[in-house]
Amino acid sequence: MKRSLRFHAAHLVAKSAMCVQKLLRMNASYFPGKLALKLCPDFGQQIGKPEKIIAVTGTNGKTTSCNLALSILEDNGYTVLSNRLGSNVNAGIATALISGSTITGSIKKKYDLALFEVDERSSKLIYSYAKPDFLLCTNLFRDSIKRNAHTEYIFNFIDSAVPEKTHMILNADDIISGRLAENNSRSYFSILPMETDHKKCENIINDMSICPKCHANLEFSNVRYHHIGTAKCPACGFAMPKADYIAEADTWDMKLMVAEADGKHTYKLVNDSIFNIYNQLGVVALLREFGLTQDQISRSLMKAQIVGTRHTSDEVNGVKIVTNLAKSLNPVACSCVFDYVGREPGTKEVILILNGAAGTRESSENITWIFDTDFQFLNTPDVKRIIIGGIRAEDEKLRLLIAGYPEENIICTEGELDTPKYLQLDCDSVFILHDLNFSGYGAEIKETVINMLKNKEAK
Amino acid sequence: MKIEILFPAFANLHGEKAAVQYLTQCLPEAEFISTELTDEPAFATEKVDMIFIGSMTESQQELCIEKLLPYKKKIEELILEGTVFLSVGNSLEVFCSSIEDGDRSIPALGIFDYTAKRDFNRRYNSLILGEMEGMKIVGFKSQFSHLYGDNKNEYLYKVVRGDGICPGSKYEGIRRNNFMGTYTLGPLLILNPDFTKYIFSLLGCENAELKFEESIRRAYMIRLKEFEDPDRKMD
Repeated sequence: MKRSLRFHAAHLVAKSAMCVQKLLRMNASYFPGKLALKLCPDFGQQIGKPEKIIAVTGTNGKTTSCNLALSILEDNGYTVLSNRLGSNVNAGIATALISGSTITGSIKKKYDLALFEVDERSSKLIYSYAKPDFLLCTNLFRDSIKRNAHTEYIFNFIDSAVPEKTHMILNADDIISGRLAENNSRSYFSILPMETDHKKCENIINDMSICPKCHANLEFSNVRYHHIGTAKCPACGFAMPKADYIAEADTWDMKLMVAEADGKHTYKLVNDSIFNIYNQLGVVALLREFGLTQDQISRSLMKAQIVGTRHTSDEVNGVKIVTNLAKSLNPVACSCVFDYVGREPGTKEVILILNGAAGTRESSENITWIFDTDFQFLNTPDVKRIIIGGIRAEDEKLRLLIAGYPEENIICTEGELDTPKYLQLDCDSVFILHDLNFSGYGAEIKETVINMLKNKEAK
Repeated sequence: MKIEILFPAFANLHGEKAAVQYLTQCLPEAEFISTELTDEPAFATEKVDMIFIGSMTESQQELCIEKLLPYKKKIEELILEGTVFLSVGNSLEVFCSSIEDGDRSIPALGIFDYTAKRDFNRRYNSLILGEMEGMKIVGFKSQFSHLYGDNKNEYLYKVVRGDGICPGSKYEGIRRNNFMGTYTLGPLLILNPDFTKYIFSLLGCENAELKFEESIRRAYMIRLKEFEDPDRKMD
């Protein structure tokens, strides 16, 4: 490809900026790309790309899915260019491409493919130059209202941006994301009914309760969470198509049996939470479509783990200490985590540090999302105590009260790191649920709890 | 007492379901009627004391307009008679003259002479602090559109910080008799204990208990302090 002088200048400046940032031990995952795109608006079109591009998008699970897909691909000998450590917006993708480029702007020969996590709202900009051969959309849910408004808005954003030759990997149990790019080729994945399914939606919000074709009320035969499940329109007959990858999850033996056209294969189940089962299934479907064999995927999954900042589990003196990401501003992600905690066996104490510090000190957080979050899932007799830390503790307490949780079992403290001192450590588990901004606090609190348990035992 | 919730299956984008749940906890004697798109509204055939409608997607606004258009006269009568309406978020636009979206003009119910102008490229996010009959109102806005028209004689509350129905406006929402429409988002009642009490008084239940009053007031006071702090940004 003939590249313009302007491109070369922008590329050189961006490469230099990346070197300087790395020398200064800064995270060079955004700025070089931003600079290049500023200096050369069609930089993305001109920079070299690997022959194959895979993109992963969706409201929840895209980072987990990307990390899992990346580990499997690398384990199978592929050299993958990714934005794993960086930003998933336009400048982040451009930065990843810069990092994988030679001095002339071509892609380094070692890269077999690119795997990009793509922010839903950046779809138009990114897919205009990084046209994915395969696009996995994990799901579409209500997310940060300030940025993402509602699912219809985000659906339209992605739908209008997907290139026509992209093969879609879609969740057949999600009536929203499952209808993306209706004219594109596609493969669907789905999970067979599970014991934990409901007959009707138990969540506060269901963003697909009316038929997308005729607007009559949809009838769900099973609901997994929110609008995820199997539904049919009684008026016009609308239903999602049969899936190509149909899974059965055995959370007892930690197995995922996936039926596809040429038979059934059993994989190790990496994590037993329903949203991570979907993430894993989506990755299996994606990599099967990409061309990996079932054995290749299976072998790699034996070594795979969900990244530690999102979920950790330790045990000290018989007490389980779990940290789990609960993304603030995202009611569905938090609801899924609350559901998971509520269903876990044994008695629990729960620490909540949900509110992102960013914005709350300078401004005041729009907290409408907490009223769309299923705090009622924490209202079980097993959840003995909830300790809420942070600037919005009183709002979350109020939300718990509306959800029916007993006031005497709620403790509020403004300091996030003060939360462990209110634990009584008289339960089977301690769950530390933290926002992404508080991953560091989550780890710190976990260490405090571990030390408290060790000291308790020593006494 | 009957309280009708219009289109709860979808008009619930920003905390409205929890707001209705809170209302049911405060008013345990009241009958709550959920009216979906396929139902005939209860207000068309029986006396209801309050009608609540929440935020929805832009395409759902059109479904809502189509559904309510045959009942326009009835809605006007109810407003004249003093029925309590609480319309939050962009549901307010449904009751106005039209919604303009680029070159497209979508006729709405036409009960209030205001035009909404929508711009999908500009999401407007803001905190809002207002005053209404001695009460301080705190709330959140997050929307693609603004309302244009002169509401200085029929606003819901005066703006202290933030914008009213459109950028620069000092008057938020529409108030005609007991019709109260505001872009302020769903959990308005949970965030504002005095406003909720005020609604109860309009419904003739001055003595209704505010559930979790101590907790709700503590959260309100913290928020009010933040919103009144001139160093805090409102966006």
